[in-house]
Order: sequence, then C-alpha cells, then structure tokens
Amino acid sequence: MAQEINRRELIRIGAGAALASQAGLAASVRPRFFTPAEFTMVDDLAELIIPADSHSPGAHAANVAEYIDARLAEAFEPQQQERWRAGLQAVDALSNKLYGRAFLEARPEDRLALLASMAENEKHPKTPGQVFFGELKAATIHAYYTSKIGIHQEMEYKGNTLLQEFVGYEVK
Amino acid sequence: MFLPSEKSGEVDLQKTYDAIIVGSGAGGGMAAHVLTSHGLQVLLLEAGRKLNINQELKSMQWPYDHPRRGDLPPDSHALSRNEYTIRKPPYAQGTSYRHVYSYILDGSGPDYAKDIVVDEKDHPYTGTEYAWVRARCLGGKTNIWGRLALRLSDYDFKAASRDGYGEDWPISYADIAPYYDKVDLYLGISGHQENLPYLPDSLFQRAVRLTTAEVQLRASLAKMGRVLTPYRAGVTTDGLKHNKYRSRCYGRGACDRRVGGCDIHAAFDSPTGLIFPALDTGNLTLRTNATVHEVTVDKNTGKASGVSFIDTGSGKIYSAKGRTVLLAASTLESARLMLLSTSTVYPNGIGNSSGHVGHNFCEHLMGPGVHGLVKELVGKPRTLDDGRPGAFYLARFRNLAERQSKFIRGYGFEGDSGTTMFPDNAFSTPGFGAEYKKNVRDYAGAFIGMGGFGEVLARYENYVDLDPQAKDRWGIPVLRFHYRFGDNEKKMAEDMADSAREMFEQAGIEILEVNREILTEGYSIHELGTSRMGADPKKSVVNQFQQCHEVKNLLVVDGSTHVSASCQNPTWTIMALCWRSCDHLADELKKGNV
Repeated sequence: MAQEINRRELIRIGAGAALASQAGLAASVRPRFFTPAEFTMVDDLAELIIPADSHSPGAHAANVAEYIDARLAEAFEPQQQERWRAGLQAVDALSNKLYGRAFLEARPEDRLALLASMAENEKHPKTPGQVFFGELKAATIHAYYTSKIGIHQEMEYKGNTLLQEFVGYEVK
Repeated sequence: MFLPSEKSGEVDLQKTYDAIIVGSGAGGGMAAHVLTSHGLQVLLLEAGRKLNINQELKSMQWPYDHPRRGDLPPDSHALSRNEYTIRKPPYAQGTSYRHVYSYILDGSGPDYAKDIVVDEKDHPYTGTEYAWVRARCLGGKTNIWGRLALRLSDYDFKAASRDGYGEDWPISYADIAPYYDKVDLYLGISGHQENLPYLPDSLFQRAVRLTTAEVQLRASLAKMGRVLTPYRAGVTTDGLKHNKYRSRCYGRGACDRRVGGCDIHAAFDSPTGLIFPALDTGNLTLRTNATVHEVTVDKNTGKASGVSFIDTGSGKIYSAKGRTVLLAASTLESARLMLLSTSTVYPNGIGNSSGHVGHNFCEHLMGPGVHGLVKELVGKPRTLDDGRPGAFYLARFRNLAERQSKFIRGYGFEGDSGTTMFPDNAFSTPGFGAEYKKNVRDYAGAFIGMGGFGEVLARYENYVDLDPQAKDRWGIPVLRFHYRFGDNEKKMAEDMADSAREMFEQAGIEILEVNREILTEGYSIHELGTSRMGADPKKSVVNQFQQCHEVKNLLVVDGSTHVSASCQNPTWTIMALCWRSCDHLADELKKGNV
C-alpha cells in the first residue's frame, strides 16, 4: 500500500528533484486532446517517471506530455483516447481515496507515493491504476528517449555522424 | 546523389526483346546487369513504383525531427508478432485500419519504409499462418534487406550425400565460387577472413569492428572451436570505383534503428548496384507499375513468347514479347506466376510438368536466442557501438564433422551488442524515478544478444498453390499456403536455445533471457525452393543454369531454385547463381540454342 512506502524509499525512487516539482508545470501549453488539467497531470506524472537529475533534464523539459497529447489527438482507435482519460480518472480517484483530494492538489510526497502504488506489480498489474501505469510509462519512455534531451543529453548518443574509421576492436 | 544518366525509354510492345525480366530485386537486378553487359536488349518489368529512395529512407533524420518520431500514420497498422499466432491469413481482413503492413514495420522507424513494403489489404493470401514480407517497388526487398552476405559451401550443396536427406544441388562450390567472386567485386562486401570450409570467405573489403563484449565472446568461443566473425555485410566499406551511384560506408550508425535501408547506398541495393549501371549501357528498358500475371507461350514451339502485364495504376493489360523470359519476382511470386500461366500446352502451369512448382518450399527457422549482460560494462562511459552496418555472425558448428545431434543440418547466429540510439532496456527496466533513469543510462551499453537462423528442411509437403477463390486488388488469384515447420525444426530450435545459453555462460555473460519460442513461419524473409534445380526433370523444375527443363527459354533466377535452404542468408547466392545462369544464357543465345 502507498501509505507503507516510507520517506526514505520515496527519496530513493524519486530523488529530490521530483519531490520539489510543482504541480502545474506546463500551464503555457494548449493541449489538443487533454483538458488543461489532464495535461498538467500527464506532465507531472511523466516528470515523476523520468525526472530531471544532475545528469540531464527530465520528461517535462523534453516536452513528453506535449508529444503524448499530439499523438492521442490524432489517434485512430477511439479506445486509446478512452484508456488515457479513464486512466487519469483512476489516478484522481485513487488520490481522493488516499489523501482526500485530487492528484494535482495532493502534496508532492503524496503524489510520489501514489505513483509508487501504481507501479507495484509492474509485470502483472492488477488495479486500473497499475494497468494505466504501464501505458503511461511506455509512452513516457518512447517520447523521452526519442527527444533531443533524451538522445543527446541523457544518453549521450554518439552515432548518426560520418566516421572515417569504424569504432571498436579490429579482429586479428 | 547521381541519378541514372540514361532515362529509360518507353517499353516498345512491338519489339521482341532478347530477354524480359520479371522483378527488380537481387535476382532481377543481377540478370539486368549481366545480360545488358553481354549487349542484349533487355526489358525489366517491376510491379511496384520507382521510389526516390533517398527521400524515402532519410537515413540520418533524427527521431525528433519526424512528427511521429518515425512511427506510422495513425490510420496504418503493422501486424504484431502475436497477431500471426492468433489469426490466420488474410491478416488484413476485418480490420478498420486503412493500411496494414507485415511485421517488418512493427519496429522502430516504420514510417520510412511504408512505401516500400506492400499493403496487406491489396495483397492478401490464404492458408496456414505465414509472416510474408513483400516489397513492391524498384529494387524490391534489397532496399531494406538485413545485408548479411554469406556464401554456401559443399556442406550445403552436397548435404544430401552427407546425411541422406533430400537432394544434392546439381552444382558444387567450385562451379559457383568464381561467380561469388564476381558478385563480391562488383557490389562490395565487408568481412574478415576466417578460412572456414563450411562458411567460405568472400573477397572482403574492410571489416567492421567488434565491441568489448563481442571480443570477449569471440575469445571464449574460440576455445570451443567456434567462430564469431564481424558481420559479413553486403556493404562497400572501401568504395567501388566503377559505380558512381554508391558511396562507401561512413559508419554513420543507427543502421539498425529502422527497418533498414541506406540512403548513400553503401549497403547494396538493386537499383544503384545493378539497375542504374545497366540503364547506362543503353541496353535496358525499365517499366515499373507492371504487374506480370502470365508468361505467354508459343503453342507451336512450346517456348515462352513473352509476358502479359497489368498496369498497376490503370488496370490496363499489355503484352510484351521476348526471346527469353527470366522470372525474379521472389520465390513465392515467381511460383505464383508459373502456376497462373496455364495453357493447352502447360495445363498445370508453365514449367510445371514435374508438379514441383510451389513445392519443396523452405526458409530459415528463427526465434530461439539469448540476451545477456556484461556486468563489467555497466556504468562505463558512453561508446559508439552502432556505427557499423552490422555487428557479428556466429558460424554454424552443428553436424559438420559428423552427425552430433537429434536433428540434421545446422544453424548460425546473428547478434549485436552495445549502445544504440534508443535504449531498449528502458522498457524492461522496472520502476520509475531517478534510480530508474540512472539504471537505464548505466546499463544501456552493457547488453549483448543473438538469435539463431536455422535450416528448414525442404519437404515436398510444404507448398503453395493458387487459392481457388481469393483474388488480389487486380483480380489475380492469390497464393494459398500449406506450410508448417516439422520435427527436425522443433528439435533444432531446442538446441539453438540450449547452445546459445551455454555459449554465453562459457563467456561469463550474465544470462537475462533465453528465448525458446519459434517465430511464425516466414519471419526470416528467406523463402526459398519453390522451383528447385536438379538434373532430373521429374524431381526438379530447373536445370543447373536455372532453365526450366521443358521450357529452355524460361529461367527462374531468384531464391526459388535453392535445393535446400542451408542456414546462410540467401541473397549473395541468389546473385551468384543468377550471374552464372545469365552468362550461360547469353552464350546459348549466341549459339542459337535457346
């Protein structure tokens, strides 16, 4: 249960940067599919999944929520949009149940604890929140690691450039 | 980038060409090259479009510069691995998507290849489960091939004599070796000389290099008497002075981040490697959007007289005349075309008096493999590991000296290690947050994996025929599959998984996953054998020069004529055989024997 995750554990999984994050990071973006509140939730959740750290900026700076929103806006299967809407509602429902307030109004450490409870049973998710975590995480990963920040700053990818010689060890 | 200086002339339907070639992939391109170089007048027909491949592939575009990071448009769908196991063909039936593509687009960057592969909606097939990947455009599958270019040896050509199963090829390695050399020199191939009798060396250009993990595995395998060699890539790494359409490889990397393809054409593709130079001779006429649906017959002589084709766009039907016809439409499409070409002379289809057309269909078994971690590499500074056209190949080791296993024939492994542009471990790393992010980063360069490619035995019972009802978008009857892996394949797959694990363990690589599951039939995209060659007209379709036994001016020059699949990737062998046959054909035409 979320309440059983202690603060040390929270710091381990979230680090300071995520705890310090403020709800409503991305108020300036006009989403195409999400409502402004939903967009802010996705932005916050994505930043909790891949936070800024001393190595590189996180999902918020990489505009992950914006990318997810754009893809959902043009989704061919209506079920995909419905899944996301229902998933975000499940997050709010869980937050209301545990903390008596919507996700965006919850304290940063409560939001983190809530996500931790959603991340339980990752391989065999049971609750609607846990199922939604899988979709949220996969979309965040896809958007983040294909972004400029993800490729160049976080992963320091060195390829896609012209080389005169192959890199590595020559076979003798 | 150069384009062919000689614009292809309009096809002349009154003229009788020396040769009509059907299909423009590895076989058709090679036939065009060889026959035009002999001064013959050649008409090349391709069912698909001529694409501006440089613009299609955009090899160096960053994911974030593409609106969907390389993904397909929302109304398009690529079949997943699972869909092939829970449904039966035709796979596009009953879907709401506007376009459906084979599994090959179910990976990264599919948007770049969606114009190259066929839309399953237009090109249905029926029968048993089969993951059929088709490319209809100038160059066919060579535009996106995996580039592994291997030779066969007498361990393959004379396999039946060695283990008693099936038929020997009517040729030996000595017959084809000079033609492998010609292909190597004309197209360029990268690799490292290993002196293995069962995997002969090519005339190699500069080899790719290995990563730390691969060096470790190579050294460990050497102690077991097995060989891991740098990927033998059909890629020119030193350049080709005689070809102005192709650049040498610049190790730009990310070769594997998409379906494939190389917009500087360092990787061989049929248009720049073969067809554009053939156009420059002035002897080649190219007609795209020409779906050939029948080989026509001269009823007096029994010879092929040309072909009928449908304009892919307008649907209008045309005929073209040729002294010879060469089929290179792909192993399955060439068989389909022969079965479609029925006449009073050839009621079972042209070239099919043996009843073997469509039969002895074989390919490579895929699925089993291993994924591991080299712990020493975790957290090490980032290196450039994918700046090469391929990583490594692990040569066959089973049933070489004597029969050592519960199955016959053998398998090799293709593998890869190190950092790629997208860290695949992001999906398998559990959790979230700062620790998750660091784990993905630290582990990204420390993985190594490989998957087997095994010989599927050629069996008469594995075949394709024409579906009596189903037709494609152009009204042409489609293929119906009757094809299943057998007991030998299942036993081989078990051994592949076991040996993969053993080799990684011996090398001190931590095993993360051993995959034991066989992928759906067809996954290898190495379909072979539907018009096998042989000396006996009762048991084979073509002779050693790929001429139909009963129709000497009809040749089949694609993968159809493989007698057995071997475990080596077929493209280089298709081209070497085709070169040999076309040299012979040119000679026979001069002598008036055809």
